[in-house]
Amino acid sequence: MSSSPRPRSASDLILIAILVVTMGALIIGALATGFMDGMFPPEAVTRQGREIRSLYDIVFWIAAVIFVFVEVLIVYSVLRYRRKPGQDELPVQTHGHNVLEVIWTVVPTVIVAYLFVISLQTLNSIDAVAKSPDIHIRAVAQQFRWQFDYLAEDGVTTLFTEDVATSDQGGGMHVPVGANVQLQLTSPDVIHAFYVPKFLFKRDVVPGITNRFDFTIDPAEAGQTFRGQCAELCGTGHRVMLLDVVAMTPADYEAWKAAKIEQAGATPAPSASAGPVAVTLEETAAGIKFTTKSLEVTADQAFAIDFKNEDPASVPHDVDIRAADGSVLADQPTIDGGTATTYTYAALPAGTYTFICSVHPFPDMTGTLTVK
Amino acid sequence: MTADSHALTTAEHSPIAGLAHDARGGISNPILGMLLFITSEVMFFAGLFGAYFSARAQNTPWPPEEFAHTLNPLSLILVATVILVLSSVTCQMAVNAIRRDDRAGFLRNMSVTVILGIAFLLMQAYDYLLLADEGLTLNAGSFGTTYYTLTGFHGAHVFGGVLMLSVILYRGMAGQFSSRHHDAVEAASLYWHFVDVVWIVLFSVLYLL
Amino acid sequence: MATTTLHPAAATYKSGLYEWLTTTDHKKIGIMYVVNSFIFFFIGGLLALGVRAELAQPGLQFLTDEHLYNQVFTMHATVMIFLFIIPMLAGFGNYIVPLQIGAPDMAFPRINAMSLWMLPLAGVILLSGFLLGGTAAAGWTSYPPLSEDRILASTGPGQDLWITALILIGTSSILGSINFLVTIFKMRAPGMTLFRMPIMVWTVLVTSVLVMMATPVITSALIMLFIDRNLGGHFFDPSTGGNAVLYQNVFWFYSHPAVYVMVLPAMGMISEILPTFSRKPLFGYKAFVFATAGIGALGFSVWAHHMFTTGAVFLPFFSLMTFLIAVPTGVKMFNWIFTLVRGQLTFSTPLLFALGFLSMFLIGGINGAFSASVPVDYALHDTYWVVAHLHYVLFGGSAFGVFAGLYYWFPKMTGRMLDETLGKIQFVLMFIGFNLTFFPMHVLGLQGMPRRIADYASGAGWNDLNLAATVGGFLIAASMLPFLWNVFVSLRSGKIAGDDPWEGNTLEWATSSPPPPYNFDRLPEIRSERPVFDQRHGHGAGGHK
Ligand code: HEA
Ligand code: HEA
Ligand code: CUA
Ligand SMILES: [Cu+2]
Repeated sequence: MSSSPRPRSASDLILIAILVVTMGALIIGALATGFMDGMFPPEAVTRQGREIRSLYDIVFWIAAVIFVFVEVLIVYSVLRYRRKPGQDELPVQTHGHNVLEVIWTVVPTVIVAYLFVISLQTLNSIDAVAKSPDIHIRAVAQQFRWQFDYLAEDGVTTLFTEDVATSDQGGGMHVPVGANVQLQLTSPDVIHAFYVPKFLFKRDVVPGITNRFDFTIDPAEAGQTFRGQCAELCGTGHRVMLLDVVAMTPADYEAWKAAKIEQAGATPAPSASAGPVAVTLEETAAGIKFTTKSLEVTADQAFAIDFKNEDPASVPHDVDIRAADGSVLADQPTIDGGTATTYTYAALPAGTYTFICSVHPFPDMTGTLTVK
Repeated sequence: MTADSHALTTAEHSPIAGLAHDARGGISNPILGMLLFITSEVMFFAGLFGAYFSARAQNTPWPPEEFAHTLNPLSLILVATVILVLSSVTCQMAVNAIRRDDRAGFLRNMSVTVILGIAFLLMQAYDYLLLADEGLTLNAGSFGTTYYTLTGFHGAHVFGGVLMLSVILYRGMAGQFSSRHHDAVEAASLYWHFVDVVWIVLFSVLYLL
Repeated sequence: MATTTLHPAAATYKSGLYEWLTTTDHKKIGIMYVVNSFIFFFIGGLLALGVRAELAQPGLQFLTDEHLYNQVFTMHATVMIFLFIIPMLAGFGNYIVPLQIGAPDMAFPRINAMSLWMLPLAGVILLSGFLLGGTAAAGWTSYPPLSEDRILASTGPGQDLWITALILIGTSSILGSINFLVTIFKMRAPGMTLFRMPIMVWTVLVTSVLVMMATPVITSALIMLFIDRNLGGHFFDPSTGGNAVLYQNVFWFYSHPAVYVMVLPAMGMISEILPTFSRKPLFGYKAFVFATAGIGALGFSVWAHHMFTTGAVFLPFFSLMTFLIAVPTGVKMFNWIFTLVRGQLTFSTPLLFALGFLSMFLIGGINGAFSASVPVDYALHDTYWVVAHLHYVLFGGSAFGVFAGLYYWFPKMTGRMLDETLGKIQFVLMFIGFNLTFFPMHVLGLQGMPRRIADYASGAGWNDLNLAATVGGFLIAASMLPFLWNVFVSLRSGKIAGDDPWEGNTLEWATSSPPPPYNFDRLPEIRSERPVFDQRHGHGAGGHK
C-alpha cells in the first residue's frame, strides 16, 4: 500500500495526458464562455422568484462542493492506484470499514435533511396564496394560445379580457409592479403550463382543476417585458404558446386598465376603415387546418371573408392578416367551433401578406394573401 | 457430460439440475412462480382500484342518482358470488384429493370447479345485459367506466382461470398427476383462489361499500 | 484447477439460425436480447439525431412539421427506454445471472424465450405508426387528455399502437422478472448463500421485484387510457368527469421505480468490473446490498416528484423521500470509489467505461437532487435541465454501464476479446461527445428553454449551446463506428479469450468461453462472494480480514 516511485508505462502517460488536456480544455472553456454564469438561472424579477433563486444558490453550492469532492476523489484514486509493472502481489483485500460506512451514510443524510428543511421554508413562503390579493387575473390556456381575463375583486366576474398574449402584437399580461397579483389557471382542453423563466416559476394548467399562485413583481422592473411560454407539451402548437408579462408602474397600469374597460364596454365596432366590401372570399377551418391556403384580392379595396369553423366547439379560430414583417394588419375576434361568421377587412396596398389563425399560428393554419 | 443442446430441453434435464437445487426444499419453482405472478396481478388490480377510489372521491354522490339502486347486492350477482366461492372450495377439494392420490375425486371436483367457473361467467354476462338495460354502460360516466373495467378485467381473469383449470383437468384425465407430482394443480388452484378473493373484494367495494 | 477443459466451445455457437430462433438456452437468449437492444439503440439514436438536427439552429429546417417532431422525440424516448435500456439490462441479466449463481439455466426457459420474442414484435408495432399515418406524439409519458386525442384527432392509430406495444413489453418484463426471481431463489448452486451472491445478481433481484410490483400498475394505466380512447371511457378526460392527474399518478408510480430498473443492473455490472480491475473485493458488500434494497424500497415513495408543478400532490412528503434516495445512492458511490482506493487498477476498456459511469452518473444524480427541492423544481421542471438530468443518468450512467459490461463479458459470450485500442477510441469519442451534447442542456434549461419544442426564437440566446449539443450528438454517433467495427473484426479474428481473461471473481469465469450448454461441468467450492478468486489465490488471500 505504500507508494514507492515507479516507472510509468506509456499507456498510463497517454491516459494522464488525455485527462489533463481534457480538464484543461474544460476549465479554460468554462472560464472563457462565462460558464459559471451559465450555471445559474437569471436574476429573478418577482419576490417569490428571488426566494427561489436564493434557495437555488444554496442548493447549487452544496451540490458543487459534493460534486467536486467526489469527482476529485474518483480522479485521484484513478491516478494514484494504477497497477504498476511488476506489481504481482495482490493489494490488501479490504472488505469494508464500518466507520467510513457510517460517515458516508450520516453526512449525506444530514445534508439532505438540511436541504429539505430550507426547501420547505421557501416552499411555504412562495406557495402562499393571499385571501384578498391586489389583482385577480384568470389565465385561460388552450390549444394554442393564452388569454387573460382580468377579474373584479370577487375573483369571479370578468372585467375585460386581453386575448393577445404577446407584446409584439400589442398584447401581453399587463401587471403593475409591487402589487400582489393572483393568477388563476384554467384550461378547457389539455394540460398546459404557465412558465416565465424570469419568475423562476411554472405551474401546470390542468383541465378540471383551477390552480392559483401569487406573485409580486419588483418595483425596479417597471417598464420591462418578460417572455414566457407554455411548458407542458400540449400538441402541435406547443411551442407557439408564447406569452409576455408586461410590468408597468401602478399609474400606467391604471390608465391601461381604464382604457381596456372602456374598450370592452363599447360595442366592438368593426374596423372603421373597412369601407364597402368589394369582394367576399371563403375560408374554412377543419382539423386545425385552413382548407384554402392561398387567397387573392384586388388592391386598395375592402374585402370580406366568409369563415366557417368546422372544428369541435372548444376549438376557436380566426383569420388575421399580417404583413411580411409579422406586424398585425387585421386582428379579428375568434369564433368557436361549429359556427361561422363574416370578417371584413380594410383595403390593402398591393403585395403579399400572410393570413393566419392567431390561435394556431403554425403552418397548417397559415396561408398567403396576394393583393394585386 | 452428455448434455444435448436440443432446443426445448428444460433445466430439469440438465446434468447438475438434480444436485442441490431441489434438495433445498421449500416450494417448487412453478408454485413460487405462480405466487410471484399473483403478486404482480395484485398490483394490476391495485392500479384499477386506485382509479376507482379516485373517481369515487371526485364524483359525489356515488353512485350517481340515476344508478342509486342499480347495483343491488341481493340479486343475480349474489348467486354468482356464492357460485364462485363454492368453486374455490371444490377446487381445494380437488387439490386435497390429488394429494391423497385420489384421482377420481380429483377429476370429479375439478370438473365441478370448471363448470362453476363457466356458470359464473355466464351469469356475469347476463348481468351485464340487465345492467345495460338500466342504462349502466361503459360510457355511463365514471361510474359505468370503473364498474365495467373492474368487473370486466376480473371476468377476463376468471376466463383465464377456467382455461387453466381446463388444461389441468385435461392433463388429469390423461393421468399426468399423482400425489408426488402435481405442482401444476397446486399452482392453478392458487390462481383460482386469487381470482376468488379479488371478486370478494370487488363485490364488497362495488356493491356493499 | 476446476476449470473446464472443453473443446473450443465456439463451435457450439455456429449452430444454425433455426437453432437460435427456437433456443431456450439462457445464454443464447441473453445474447439475442443484447443484439436486439442494440438494434433499437441505433434506431432510437437515429431518431435523436433527427431531433438534434432540427434543434441545431432556430427555425424549422429538418423536421419542418411540428407534429412530426413530436412523433420523433416520442419514439426516440420510447424506443430508448422500453426497447433499449430495459431489455438490454434484462439481456445481460439473462446471460450472467444463471452463470454467476452456478445454475444450468433459468427456471422457466420457455417463458424466457417468449419474453424475448415479445420485444421485437412490440418494436415493430410501435414503429409501424410511421407507415400507418403517424406514431404516438404525446411524449414518452403520454399524458391525457392530450393522448386521448378527443379534440385534435391528429395521431391516428399511433397512440393505440404505442399502448399495445407497451403492454406487450410490460408483460415481457413481468414474466422475465418472475423468471429471475425464481431462478435466484431456487437455483443457486450449493454454497451460494444469499450473501455470497455477486452484486450483479443482487441488483437483478431488486430490479425484478421492482418490475414485478410496478409494471402491472402501468399496464392498468395503459388499459384505462385505451378504454378512454376507444371504448368511450371516462377515466382521464375532465370534460367527461375524469381526472387528468390520476393518470400521472399511476404512470409515475410505475415510471419512477422503473428508472431504477433502468440503472440498478448497470450498477451491478459496475460492481463486478471495478473489483476485477482493481484486484480487490467490492468495498462494503453488505452495505451495498442494503443500499440497493433501500433504493428499491424508497423508489416506490417518490413518484410524485415528476408532478410537483401540477398543484395536486402533497409536496413535503415526496420532496423528503426524493432527497432521501440520494443517501443509499451515495453509499454505493463511495463504496465504488473505495474499491478503487488502494487497489491496482488496470485500465482496460471495461474499467474506462465503468469510470465513465461513476463520474457521469454522479452528475446525473446530483442534478436530479436539485429537483427534489420543490421550489427549485418549479424553475427546472419541463426545461432542458431535466433533459440533461435524464441523459446523464440514463446515458452517462446506464449506457456507459452497458458498454462496460459488453467489453467485460464479450469474451465470455463469444470466446474472443474485443480490441482494446478501438475500445479506447470509442470511449474517448463517446465521453467527449456525450458531455458536449448534454452538458449545455443544463444551461439551456436554466435560461428557460422548455423541452419538447421543435423550434425556438433566434433571439432567445440559445443558438450556440444548441449547436454544440447537436455537434456532440453526432460525435456520439461517430463513436459507434469504431465500436461496430470492433465487434465485426473481433468476432472474426479477435484474440482468443480463454476461460478467464480478466482474472474475474465470479463463477462465470470458472467455465469455458463460451460456456457449454448447462454452463458447468464442475463448480469450484463457494465459500465467499468471490469463488473464482478463492480458487485462484486461496480463500482469504491477500490480507483478507
Ligand atoms: C436511470 C434513470 C434515473 C435515475 C437513476 C434517476 C435518479 C434520480 N432522479 Fe431522475 N429522472 C429520470 C431518470 C432517472 N433519475 C428521467 C428519465 C426523468 C425525466 C422523466 C420525464 O419527465 O421525461 C427524471 C426526472 C426526475 C425528476 C423530475 C424533474 C422534473 O420533471 O421536474 C426528479 C425530481 O426530483 C428526479 C430526481 C431524481 C433523483 C433525486 C435521483 C436520485 O436517485 C439520484 C441519487 C444520486 C446522487 C445524488 C449522486 C450520488 C450521491 C452522493 C455522492 C451522495 C451525496 C449527495 C447528496 C447529499 C445530494 N428525476
Ligand atoms: C436510454 C435512454 C436515452 C438515450 C440513450 C438517449 C440518447 C440521446 N438523446 Fe434522448 N431522450 C430520452 C432518453 C434517451 N436519450 C428520453 C426519455 C427523453 C424524453 C423524451 C420526452 O420528452 O418524451 C429524451 C429526449 C431527448 C431530447 C429532448 C427532446 C425534446 O424535449 O424536444 C433530446 C434533444 O437533444 C435528446 C437527444 C439525445 C441524443 C443526441 C442522444 C444520443 O446519445 C444518441 C446517440 C446516437 C446514436 C447512438 C446513433 C448511432 C447510430 C449510428 C451511428 C448509425 C448506425 C446505423 C446503423 C449501423 C444502421 N433526447
Ligand atoms: Cu400549451 Cu404547451
Ligand atoms: Cu423519478
